[in-house]
Amino acid sequence: MKKWFVLHRKEWLEMTLNYKIIWIPLIFVLFGLMQPITSYYMPEILKNASNLPEGSIIQIPMPTSGEVLTQTMGQFNQIGVLVLVLAFMGIVSSERRSGMIKAILVKPVSYPSYITSKWMSVVLLSAGSVFLGMLASWYYTVLLIGDFPFIDMVKGTLIYFIWILFIVTFTVFLSSFLKSSGFVAAFTLVLSILLSLLTSLFEKWMEWSPAQLTNAAASLFMAGDIEGPLLLPLITTVILTALFLYLATSRKSSV
Amino acid sequence: MNFNFEINWALLAPLIVIQAILLIIALFDLVKTEKTNGPKWMWVLIVLLIATFGPILYFVIGKKRD
Repeated sequence: MKKWFVLHRKEWLEMTLNYKIIWIPLIFVLFGLMQPITSYYMPEILKNASNLPEGSIIQIPMPTSGEVLTQTMGQFNQIGVLVLVLAFMGIVSSERRSGMIKAILVKPVSYPSYITSKWMSVVLLSAGSVFLGMLASWYYTVLLIGDFPFIDMVKGTLIYFIWILFIVTFTVFLSSFLKSSGFVAAFTLVLSILLSLLTSLFEKWMEWSPAQLTNAAASLFMAGDIEGPLLLPLITTVILTALFLYLATSRKSSV
Repeated sequence: MNFNFEINWALLAPLIVIQAILLIIALFDLVKTEKTNGPKWMWVLIVLLIATFGPILYFVIGKKRD
């Protein structure tokens, strides 16, 4: 266990040295703040930007607080997931390529603890980023748009984070198997887009899909309670996450 | 474009600060690092000229991973 913490600390040191610890949360906070601000100024921007004839009236209803938070989550699902996947695609594969992994594993360190220490650092950093981003978004939404219960924001973010957890675990899993970081990013992004797309297209057959968690969080933000499946996607996502983590730790050959 | 509405700068200040921090870290890292993906001057221009996305682009694809 002590060795595991040494490895874990090494991960944090590395993330500090390449500034991931600063720029990843900052990007989430930036996009979290941007969404309520854009919604707030949108009527004025449209009034000024469009070349409408004098006197024409455009009515744009101000979105509700829940809608703004849902839009923030949508931003995180696109730019946020992209940033996380690209930031962590090389977490194992680049060490494998540079030979660093050999230097670490000649020490009395087991391969599973090597992988899980990395996985834990990735999970903690992405959890911190997503929560900070949603918190920033919630704060500005309450200031600019209207009140929204804090506890609902926390609940929705928790549900949404399980989906992010699944995505980053899949990134670590692929990174431990593939040599090229580029393929890791490409496959993970394709999986996340396909899952989201299929889930919205075939809602009936995709009730188990991890992407349903985003819908559940969205309905919590918009309606105040969860309509549609929650338990089933939660169970499949947790099982799949555990499975991918297990598979990632079980590769011992050709280190 | 002619904006005829008041912009509340206190509201936008956090956004500007965050973008400034990202820009400074990216430039600092660019100075320290030896090799980038593609020419270094190109990344300096990207970081400086493309708001918000310049530093992000540099962090995710500009840094050379050995």
